[in-house]
Amino acid sequence: MEYMNRIYKLDEYSGVLTCDAGCILQSLHDYAEEKGYLFPLDIGSKGTCQIGGNVSTNAGGHHFFRFGGLHGTVVGMEVVLADGRVLRMNVDVSDDDNNDDCTHRFQQSSASLRKDNTGYDLKQLFIGGEGTLGIVTKVAVACPALPTSKNVALLVCNSYSDVLQILKTSKEELGEILSAIELIDSNTMKFVQKYGSGIGDHLISELLSPEAEAADKQPLFILVESQGCDQESDSSKMDAFLTSLYESSTIENGFLAQDSKHIEEIWGIRESCNPSVARAGYVHKFDVSIRIEAYMEVAEEVSDALENANLSDLTVCVWGHVADGNAHINIVSGQCDKDAVVQKQLKICILFSYEEKWLDFCGTRHWTIEAQVHVTNQGWSCLGAHVTDEEFI
Amino acid sequence: MRKILVPIKRVIDYAQKIRVDPSKGAQGVQLKNVKMSMNPFCEIAVEEAIQLKEQNKGAEVVAISVGPKQCTETIRTALAMGADRGIHIETKPDVRGDYIDLQPWAIATLLKGVVEKEDAVDLVLLGKQSIDSDCGQTGPLLAGLLNAPQATFAANIERGDDGSFTVERETDTGTETIKLNASGKPAVITCDLRLNTPRYPTMPNIMKAKKKPVETISLEDMVKELGLDLDEVLTPKNEVVEVYEPPPRKEGETVGSIDELLGKLKEKGLVA
Repeated sequence: MEYMNRIYKLDEYSGVLTCDAGCILQSLHDYAEEKGYLFPLDIGSKGTCQIGGNVSTNAGGHHFFRFGGLHGTVVGMEVVLADGRVLRMNVDVSDDDNNDDCTHRFQQSSASLRKDNTGYDLKQLFIGGEGTLGIVTKVAVACPALPTSKNVALLVCNSYSDVLQILKTSKEELGEILSAIELIDSNTMKFVQKYGSGIGDHLISELLSPEAEAADKQPLFILVESQGCDQESDSSKMDAFLTSLYESSTIENGFLAQDSKHIEEIWGIRESCNPSVARAGYVHKFDVSIRIEAYMEVAEEVSDALENANLSDLTVCVWGHVADGNAHINIVSGQCDKDAVVQKQLKICILFSYEEKWLDFCGTRHWTIEAQVHVTNQGWSCLGAHVTDEEFI
Repeated sequence: MRKILVPIKRVIDYAQKIRVDPSKGAQGVQLKNVKMSMNPFCEIAVEEAIQLKEQNKGAEVVAISVGPKQCTETIRTALAMGADRGIHIETKPDVRGDYIDLQPWAIATLLKGVVEKEDAVDLVLLGKQSIDSDCGQTGPLLAGLLNAPQATFAANIERGDDGSFTVERETDTGTETIKLNASGKPAVITCDLRLNTPRYPTMPNIMKAKKKPVETISLEDMVKELGLDLDEVLTPKNEVVEVYEPPPRKEGETVGSIDELLGKLKEKGLVA
């Protein structure tokens, strides 16, 4: 797919970008930026992932809160079905040299229109379809205008109820310019400090100061981003927002980015969460949607469940798109002898993967599973050597 | 230590893509709706001033900026980092600070006046250069006008009990250490990248900064007060003839095989 990486065009009036499915997400960001537009999907792996894959897995990303998901922003696509038929749904292929080669056409359109209400919206089945119904070969995505003013702050709270207050206040004070709210818990931040790439080190050591450590606090860190088109007005909104949080003691402290370098550092810390935790040991990853109110209860309940199952030496890390109620829960098992790790992993798998138990565990808490539970590569190969099929199932 | 003066400049943010409209001639740099922030080297100078203040109780850090009304924001950032007060020499909105109108000579002349007016200034810390004009001249010109000792491209600064400054400075071949003796004149030091990592303004400091005093005075009034000539200050000594974007890098050619590569190299006369 990586060879199918042509960007066809970006309509300067509708903002619709049409491209091949093999385009790297970062290249779409760069192309759109040149033309004064912003590609609405932004995830940590944008330097390597392809848009076709993003569409097939319905990737959410940092700006889901502001721009919505791919179900809304993808306005057209071309897919190849299992029997070889090419299905085109509202995607402009006039620039595609291979247009005439295709002998089977189920549906044909000649423009990536911003709005297409004709018939059933079949493309929705392929978004998140994970390739089960067809391979996505082209997409048309509606891009918003590039915001010219960006403000980012990293806030420190003592409890989740403060975080809930931030969510409310941000909608009131930042309103239409609010573009992202991300949560990082203490356990995750400590792993970023230890195993991260070094970006934002200076800031992290202030966040995890020895004083805070001594007070045995488990602070929660919230990244708030605003994007708009008037720097002066946006800065004053951000200032009013932070002042109101500080004066009401909703936040213990906050760090406001003064320039692009600070913005890169704060986002760099957020994007380091996943790779840092992966370097910390063997990781069990859960990507779940939770009622926003109960977001942090997750970590507590998972910790309790692990304790009750006599599984020790595990760190539960939580980070994610808190404004969407989407949490990345990672259970990290420290570096210890392989056999012990494997046994532990097996038990975790059984505890959380065995469908009935998992659905039961989730159902009573109104969670939904966004992604399958999976064990890291090292884990699988170890498991294979130790477990028979019957035992596993 | 008494006063540390830190001149700071508001420039286009370093990560912004600069757009040039050649039809507008030398004035063609697009400034509308472009993100501005404190010059990164000025930020380093502010940080150093605050660190010196923390080591020398009783020292006062004064941030000063010459520019349009939005410069007050830049001064507030310096105050939020820990500076004690600010001076804003306000220019009319159409006066360009990026070398078109205001140039280092004018700034240095103004700063000389301010240093003399403030009195009790022991140190002037500046960024080594601004990222819009890249001149690196304001510090050295100021030192010359004041007849003061100077050190540029500082990577480390130590203050001696006798009021001297020992500075490690960056050179093309390594580091050079020089000592600025206490002379009755303020030491003038320009700051380079390795000197420190500027702190983030924290909420408590941002709140405190709102109450710190910032004196705003128009360029015209300041010039009058210092007994200078406005025309002299506003007429640039150097004229910008042309501003253009660097030519786009030509895309590389992918070849299918080693033979093809050799063929192309021979074609271009690069291989016999």
